[in-house]
Amino acid sequence: MSDVIRSTGAGADAAPASGEGSESGGLMRGIFGEGSPTFLTTRVDFVVNWARRNSLWPMPFGTACCAIEMMASAASKNDLARFGMERMSFSPRQADVLICAGRVPYKLAPVLRRIWDQMPQPKWSVSMGACASSGGVFDVYSMVQGIDTIIPVDVYVPGCPPRPEALIYGLMMIQEKIRGETLSRHHEHRSEPAADVGRPRASAVEVAALSLPFGNSTRQNRASGLVQTMPTERPGDRIP
Amino acid sequence: MPANLRAAHPSVVALDAHFGDAILGHELVAGDEHVVFIAPDRSFEILQWLREDPDQNYNYLSDVTAVDYGGGRPIQVVYQLFSIPYRRHLRLKAELPLDGLEIESIVPIWQSANWLEREVWDMFGVTFRNHPDPRRILMPEGYQEGHPLRKDFPLRGRFSRAEQTRRALSQDPEDYYVPSEMGAGRTPQLVPWQEFAGGRAPMSTQTDPSVEEPRKS
Repeated sequence: MSDVIRSTGAGADAAPASGEGSESGGLMRGIFGEGSPTFLTTRVDFVVNWARRNSLWPMPFGTACCAIEMMASAASKNDLARFGMERMSFSPRQADVLICAGRVPYKLAPVLRRIWDQMPQPKWSVSMGACASSGGVFDVYSMVQGIDTIIPVDVYVPGCPPRPEALIYGLMMIQEKIRGETLSRHHEHRSEPAADVGRPRASAVEVAALSLPFGNSTRQNRASGLVQTMPTERPGDRIP
Repeated sequence: MPANLRAAHPSVVALDAHFGDAILGHELVAGDEHVVFIAPDRSFEILQWLREDPDQNYNYLSDVTAVDYGGGRPIQVVYQLFSIPYRRHLRLKAELPLDGLEIESIVPIWQSANWLEREVWDMFGVTFRNHPDPRRILMPEGYQEGHPLRKDFPLRGRFSRAEQTRRALSQDPEDYYVPSEMGAGRTPQLVPWQEFAGGRAPMSTQTDPSVEEPRKS
């Protein structure tokens, strides 16, 4: 019996009967068993990023049908909590990821911008679905043509609406992005000049490029040359 | 207009008898939906009578909306009424020329017309006289581009996207509301159930004083 204990222990003093003397030989019970080190060396970047990416709390900004899929991804079948997004944070002060799910009209644009400004750093954002990313089919007078004109966006999730798997994949891409961040370039990653608060993210030229001659959503069709998008003249619509 | 078409709806016959020349026309659409065209300057009187007359009793206002057919044609303000005791639908239309988009508000008759008329003002630019709260309801309060559902309104607005974005973000979202809208300072006015017993709800012509609060500029 004692031979067996001696052979598996780290030394002659191992496995005392009382258990109190385990440190007597200068060897504590380490994390990998007796005799293994009781400390780890790592990089601060790794630990910080590990903590950040595995406890991302989403701020759900659901305005349309994408929000239904977002709820489905938080529900039991897809279970967003597996990835550390345990708590949907309905308060921006306690949130890390803004998920903009759905179309954003111009009336809602200042609300979205204010919620983004209220979120503390570090923060990321997901533009979920076609409408949030580009305006989608809503190339009309009332709709923001992509929330990236309002706030910075890290990940665009395509789809109309995207399936829960797509949203989870987008959030995992945010986790991958966090993995590559480093504290030495903190100012670069997390730059947020005070003058930018409450202002559009995109410049006027950039926004104008989205809308000429047709909107953000049909821009790719125009570039492909496969779709004719000439304006329709209808002089009879209104006799002045 | 064949007489038998009008006879199919008792309210149309009664309107003809009571208001005569203020009833400009009658239409039967979609099989059995009666549309009555009324003179806009007498619309309040006609609608009040439809609500108060015991044989009509249109105590439920389903909708107030408007139609712009374009081409310089007048904009039609549409009142969709329903009589709960008689289970009767009636649609009234008042045609307003483009240079005189103004009609009397019916909020004193049906309180529910408040938001509906604000929407018609917002989308079509029809002014409702004596409306207690004539603000925009769907578009932002500072919206400068006009009335979007008019046929002459460009689909993507009058300003460039950059200007629209700039204007949107320069607004304070809390400016859209007045305290009375949030329920502050308002006491609910309950109607005794006995007054409903005769099949008629009382009509209050008094406006709520808390509504007439000065607008935030």
